[in-house]
Amino acid sequence: MSTVVYPARRILTMNPNRPSVTHVAVRDGRILGAGSLEELRGWGKFELDERFADKVILPGFVEGHSHAYEGGVWKFPYVGYFDRIAPDGTRFKGLKNIDEVVARLRAHEKTLAPGASLLAWGFDPIYFGGRRMVLTDVDRISTGRPIVIVHSNFHVANANSVVLAKAGITRTTNVHGIVKDASGEPTGELQEMTAKYMAYRAAGMEIAAVLSDEQAVWRFAKVAQLAGVTTATDLHNELPESTVEGYLKASASDDFPIRLLPAFAAASVPPAQGIPRLQALMKKNNDRLRFQLVKIVTDGSIQGLSARMRWPGYYDGTPNGVWNVGPDDIDRILLSWHSAGFQVHIHTNGDEASEVAIEAVERALMAAPRWDHRHTLQHAQMADAGQFRRMKALGMCANLFANHLFYWGDIHYAKTLGPERAERMDGCGTALATGVPFAIHCDAPVTPIGPLFTAWCAVNRLTASGRTLGEAERISVADALRAITLGAAYTLKLDEELGSIDVGKRADFAILDDDPLSVLPETLKDIGVWGTVLGGKVFEAPRS
Amino acid sequence: MIPFTVIGGFLGAGKTTLLNRLLRADTGRRFAVLVNDFGALDIDSRLVVAHGGDTIALANGCLCCTIGDSLVTTILALLERPDRFDHIVVEASGVADPGRIADLAVLDQRLVRDGVIVVVDAGSVRERSADRRVGDTITRQLAAADLLLLNKTDLADDLALLRGWLSTQSPAPVLEARHADVAIDLLFSLPRLGGAASAEAPDAFASWSYEWAEPVERGIVLGMLRAAGVLRAKGIVRFVDMPARRSVIHQVGNRLDISDGEPWRESETSRLVLLGLKPMLGSLQRE
Repeated sequence: MSTVVYPARRILTMNPNRPSVTHVAVRDGRILGAGSLEELRGWGKFELDERFADKVILPGFVEGHSHAYEGGVWKFPYVGYFDRIAPDGTRFKGLKNIDEVVARLRAHEKTLAPGASLLAWGFDPIYFGGRRMVLTDVDRISTGRPIVIVHSNFHVANANSVVLAKAGITRTTNVHGIVKDASGEPTGELQEMTAKYMAYRAAGMEIAAVLSDEQAVWRFAKVAQLAGVTTATDLHNELPESTVEGYLKASASDDFPIRLLPAFAAASVPPAQGIPRLQALMKKNNDRLRFQLVKIVTDGSIQGLSARMRWPGYYDGTPNGVWNVGPDDIDRILLSWHSAGFQVHIHTNGDEASEVAIEAVERALMAAPRWDHRHTLQHAQMADAGQFRRMKALGMCANLFANHLFYWGDIHYAKTLGPERAERMDGCGTALATGVPFAIHCDAPVTPIGPLFTAWCAVNRLTASGRTLGEAERISVADALRAITLGAAYTLKLDEELGSIDVGKRADFAILDDDPLSVLPETLKDIGVWGTVLGGKVFEAPRS
Repeated sequence: MIPFTVIGGFLGAGKTTLLNRLLRADTGRRFAVLVNDFGALDIDSRLVVAHGGDTIALANGCLCCTIGDSLVTTILALLERPDRFDHIVVEASGVADPGRIADLAVLDQRLVRDGVIVVVDAGSVRERSADRRVGDTITRQLAAADLLLLNKTDLADDLALLRGWLSTQSPAPVLEARHADVAIDLLFSLPRLGGAASAEAPDAFASWSYEWAEPVERGIVLGMLRAAGVLRAKGIVRFVDMPARRSVIHQVGNRLDISDGEPWRESETSRLVLLGLKPMLGSLQRE
């Protein structure tokens, strides 16, 4: 039973009783104490470990909405507009136009076996400001193998002629989602499920298998760890046997650098089947793997034009979106899981979707009253003051998609929501003022995992073009740091176990190069992450 | 070629009732039925010959499968099964657009899109279509239908008014029922050309067969296909304007597909079978 004391330049505890200290003591993977060296001496013999002496220590970051298939996509080349860090620490530079994407993939293509398919991801033409990618672009990469380039939202893909030919997609193919030009020819851009699947099949890609193989969860954990994350979610998974086995195996290893919380996809099986299944899975929980979360998806996404909105709907007149689990189904599903004692996370993007979810929680509570359920609205991008008030009254939480402000803020301002609603979207300020416990997230791989960046988004609300999207909804750095640590832990019912540097909690730390409370708020996202500590074990990030 | 049918319609319209009837019917065909929840189906346990997790096999050769999270994966897995089946029927969720699901038939060359049947609750559809949250979902479903099954007609206040309104929402032919009790053959593929008619041939519907030795005027055939009361049609015809090719005709309700394919074989004759509601079909002339 050995004790290690780490001195640091500063330790931000998230404990209001002593918010900033200089030393933390760790024993058996837990925090023995945090304070001055004198105070900690009282615990007895200890070893002084000074490797963090000039670093700043925070509680390990908690990512309350991410997907493990972020690890899956890193098997393939990234072709996004913004720089992104790979699991091994390599920084991939963003590509700024179609020609650069083509050049990157031409180089990559040469490394592939003859005939093997090429899948790329993260493509984001909206930032190029200009024409869409078409067949001739992708054919320039190669016409000797199937090529599929998936957009960053994962709803759209661009294919080359080889794929179209194999899939039998021609001008006469009458399937929704096959984009055609003015003369009626397919452009190679494929939107939505059927069209995308035609491409994947033609390219011989077993997408589901590839995205969730055992290596994927390791890559996901590494990308998370590089960003200072010690607890992360895989927030929608059918949890088939193969995936569960993979998670159990990975989490059994002391080298696995995060605590993983998968969320069971509630609509994938009837509750009468799902509930016993999840209860059985919970018996396999260990320190680094917790089955306990449940997820319901109500609508689509705002930028994907599939969110369910209240009047007046989309700013540019796009018709209202689609339901996945709609108003008539959500009661039945939610009540079952709620009555069985589970915490339910509900994806809602549009404000009609959040309204339906809030009402469903209210009816569930009337039918089966429960304390401290903490059912959480995920994304809740359009929730307004009234909805936050209702959430507060019902004991609900919110996990707000702050990263959207940067990545799609300009689109929301100009096209989907209009100026007013864009300025109040992902309303951290209102959540805070109303007293709704909240977190902020990235939804990786839709946007990269990096809580400091997410906090930067919530603090500055700056779009990619530099516009401030709603001064009134900005929150302080201190509040944002809380949202990515204890706040997120609260939405996962882990707040007693981790999320702050406090006696008895897990020794999970984010080790930073600088003090987030001392730098300019605009530079919050640039603070370097040295590494993490998980249950007392040190994970240094590889330097690229 | 495996026909691919989608049953759509809002919660409570009667999709499950229809599927139960299908599974119990003596069609001589093996249906693979994909549903969201086994529990809702009323399967006689004496008819179950195998039950493995997400699939139930019945004594009459039918298969029931649960869909899970990915319909695409379920369909592709079904096609890889060694079990033989003649027809795939997918139950769309109550909020889904069945037309989009029917598109999935393109995913595999073995599949041919057969039809989108939308079940409509006569008692509540007008009210639902006015509901701000689900109204547009209803409208999309009706618009996607090849055939409409207007169910629970005993619950409608004014059936004629309702049918008038329905015709403004969708050009698809309408079949009426109280408990989804419509002849199965009206909803699913006709028996093979030249084959025996199904055992279930009530007075309500009839089928007419046509044969031509010489190439036919396209306009004449189209006129027949568009005649009121024609619900399904299937044929292989040699058109005057394309005498070298076989034109394959497939019609389900409102949706007509004519694909011009392989070279015409000299020994063949043009054949067309129409299936529809008896009183109306009576007006068609036999060639």
